[in-house]
Amino acid sequence: MTATQIDSNKMPTKGAIIPAEEEINKTIVDIFKKSLEKKCFDAILIPVRVPETEAYAWVLLKDQSLLDEANPLPPIISVQGAKALRSLTKRGKMTQNIAAILRPCEIRAAVELSKLKQIHLDNISLISIDCPGAMPLSDYLADPEKSKKIYKNVLEKWGEDDSVRPVCHICNRFSLPSLLHRKSVKISPVEQDEAKMPSIDLHIGLLGGNQEKIFLIPVNPKGREILEKLELKSDDSLDLWQTKVSEVQEKKEKIRKEFNLELKEKIEGQKKLTAVFDECINCHNCMRVCPICYCQQCFFDSDSLTLSPETYISRAEKKGALRFPLDTMLFHLGRMSHMVLSCVSCGVCEDACPMSIPVAQIFSLVADQTQKSFDYTPGINKEEPLPLQDFLEDEFHEVETPSEAMTPEEVN
Amino acid sequence: MSNVLKIKKGVEQGVNELLKFLLESEKVKGIFTLRKMNENGAVSYSLITHPKELKNAVPLFPLMPVNAGKILSGFTLKKAINEPIAAVLRSCELRAFIELIKRTQGSLENFLLISSTCGGVYPLKSLTDGTFKEQVSQYWESAKNAEIASDIRPTCAACEYFIPQQADMTIAIVGKNDLQQECSIFLNTKKGEEFTIGAPGNIVSEEIDTKETTKLREKRQDQKKKLFDEFEKNGFGIKALVKTFAACLSCHGCSKACPICYCTLCDFDSKTHEYLPSSHEIELEQKGGIRIPPGTIFFHIGRMIHMAVSCVNCGMCSDVCPVNIPVSTIFSKVGDSLQKLFDYLPGKDIEEPVPSGTYKEEEFTEIGE
Amino acid sequence: MNDEYTPKIIGFLCNWCAYTGADLAGVSRIQITPSLRIIRVMCSGRIDPLFVLKGLLKGADGVMMMGCHPGDCHYQKGNYSARRRYVLLQKLFEDLGFESERIGLWWVSASEGPRYAQVSSEFSEEIKKLGPNPVREEIFI
Repeated sequence: MTATQIDSNKMPTKGAIIPAEEEINKTIVDIFKKSLEKKCFDAILIPVRVPETEAYAWVLLKDQSLLDEANPLPPIISVQGAKALRSLTKRGKMTQNIAAILRPCEIRAAVELSKLKQIHLDNISLISIDCPGAMPLSDYLADPEKSKKIYKNVLEKWGEDDSVRPVCHICNRFSLPSLLHRKSVKISPVEQDEAKMPSIDLHIGLLGGNQEKIFLIPVNPKGREILEKLELKSDDSLDLWQTKVSEVQEKKEKIRKEFNLELKEKIEGQKKLTAVFDECINCHNCMRVCPICYCQQCFFDSDSLTLSPETYISRAEKKGALRFPLDTMLFHLGRMSHMVLSCVSCGVCEDACPMSIPVAQIFSLVADQTQKSFDYTPGINKEEPLPLQDFLEDEFHEVETPSEAMTPEEVN
Repeated sequence: MSNVLKIKKGVEQGVNELLKFLLESEKVKGIFTLRKMNENGAVSYSLITHPKELKNAVPLFPLMPVNAGKILSGFTLKKAINEPIAAVLRSCELRAFIELIKRTQGSLENFLLISSTCGGVYPLKSLTDGTFKEQVSQYWESAKNAEIASDIRPTCAACEYFIPQQADMTIAIVGKNDLQQECSIFLNTKKGEEFTIGAPGNIVSEEIDTKETTKLREKRQDQKKKLFDEFEKNGFGIKALVKTFAACLSCHGCSKACPICYCTLCDFDSKTHEYLPSSHEIELEQKGGIRIPPGTIFFHIGRMIHMAVSCVNCGMCSDVCPVNIPVSTIFSKVGDSLQKLFDYLPGKDIEEPVPSGTYKEEEFTEIGE
Repeated sequence: MNDEYTPKIIGFLCNWCAYTGADLAGVSRIQITPSLRIIRVMCSGRIDPLFVLKGLLKGADGVMMMGCHPGDCHYQKGNYSARRRYVLLQKLFEDLGFESERIGLWWVSASEGPRYAQVSSEFSEEIKKLGPNPVREEIFI
């Protein structure tokens, strides 16, 4: 095992610039229509509006006419894209070539799931897109027409409009640079070639395009091949896009920092945290929509937590009263301990919470801190091991008992 | 006519008085009831064993954070309790508990069941969007006048089984004009009478079914018809269903919140419903496009086949749905018709077997010939 | 070969009566409809309503359930359960506005080869009249 600096992961500087028609979405969809025609892919996984409704569902399609109602960037995240990809490829790899158009957080969740052996990424081209965030499900469902207008504004303003979900508002991984690897990872020499490949093949840049053009950015050789098949030259400069990305990035980092400081104040400490989860009704919706929570049978849904009535009664007697459903705090913190190192802050948990508990904000805050201590960013490189599957002999000495024996005086 | 315990206090204080008596006189080991969690109005069920904790008890609070039948089932799943516990729960929760016991998911033994003529509850969403406080102010007034309180959940507004069937005691709320001055607790069973010996208040004789309750029942039946008709307006068949469930996230939260769906691992969450990539590809070839994850309609109708005949219309499924699908309306509509088919009312009689678990030789004889 | 539409029908046949009956129809060289795809189950009581539902939602044009006559069940009472489930399914389909004509239950004994041939071709004709299952076109199912 040697540590290798992954250099082929540096930011691509060239791409194809496509002039946009009135609607950016239409321009993107047209590219994918063409890609089906040119046989870049056999099928495409993309959100499509369900006819006669305002709802979006993931559809794997090869019929081009279905793309008419497709939207690569719908105002909401319905099912997390990684979850859709998992349902498609959990039992094995696809034999056909599939393009999956996902938001950055969805791509990262997909990469995490592939590490967890829940997704087979073979024959799947991951295509990411600059994401301004998504609107809260409840807001959108309450008034889809109004929400669509607001979302249009969100797309134009980038990062200034806070009608997106809180986790989206503070998201600092909304574009390609933050999805690429920049640190050295331990990988065996045999795997190196593949490991050097970024998981993303193609990125669709919207930033800096001013709604007038979009950037198609090939990230690896496969991406370049796709552009070639589309008969697109990929030697346009990406300066406009890059400048805007770093500008928004800077802004977002600042918002995130401030937001998290404030949030920390609100939830830190057992009392405050208990108050936040007091309203939890134990429906486990958050776990069920979470892309990382992949267990078929969650530990917290299992019989392990069912005890005899005597135990409940004696527990009640200790405090005078015992809350039911039991162990809501155990569930949330337990779930956190299970998945927070892989949490991609996609926010679907919060969207699904019937009690509007800020689950995603809390998980994202904790994720920030815990991931930092392992120097790990989930969903960047599919060869990078999960922190808890790996260890170094020489690490975290600060948590160990001091090796020097105490002097007799100290003992006394 | 049955015996009624009258306590000269407003209904809420009156009930608390009774609970306090039960606990302090050690007639029961604990009391299972709703308890206030914070000032926003959040409540949760609690097992209260110390009288001082009763100050936060709000047994009649018009919110249902979770179906209590489900909780009592979990409580007694391993074995029955051996000391008496009083449980205050709504009619639909009690019915759910009984349905669960029929499925060997709990035990009724040693429970003192206290229920009420239910005025319905508000949607959980009203708590989070802040409308609850405003709405709840007119709740008691509506209950008193046997009206359907506005803004309560559609399922509750259409519920005609608000008089509990199996309770030992029933707190009368609907149509009680003197709600603020007097608390009437009907003692339906011998057990109920025994437990109240020595309780504060006096005993009189009254009928639980009154003109007022009939009035409310009729109103609710009208409302039910309206609700169902409105649903039918959306049309029938697969197209209508696809539209109804268009936004479904397949989170299966409805099944998790449903008291009747007791399986630890739902069939639809199991490996049975994971498909090989090749099977996706075959279907893709046939249709040109497939929804992923697949099986949205299959899940909902499948779940209906499994539990609709025992559906108690508690409305929890709609309450937890993140995308506001009127799950409970559909399930109660189908449930209603299936229950009529088998002449079965879920939770009415603990001795009556669940229709899907039994058969008669001489029924539906025209079928199959 | 003509281009006439042949429906795809799934038949769940109990091992002891209906399946043996179908076998008898075969050895007796009775003409049998080609629409039917048979799945043998040990008892009509084994036919999970989900099997029927899944068949239809995956695009089958019709589903037949067949078992022993009441009182003749190899396992005493499996067919009574099957009958209840069928009634439930039928009612549910009616309530949801599905074409309940696409499912059916018949009692066919081991000696009723001709009856087997008759009910299956009759059912096939009826399905033919109904046309292909509309679910086949549905993507967002």
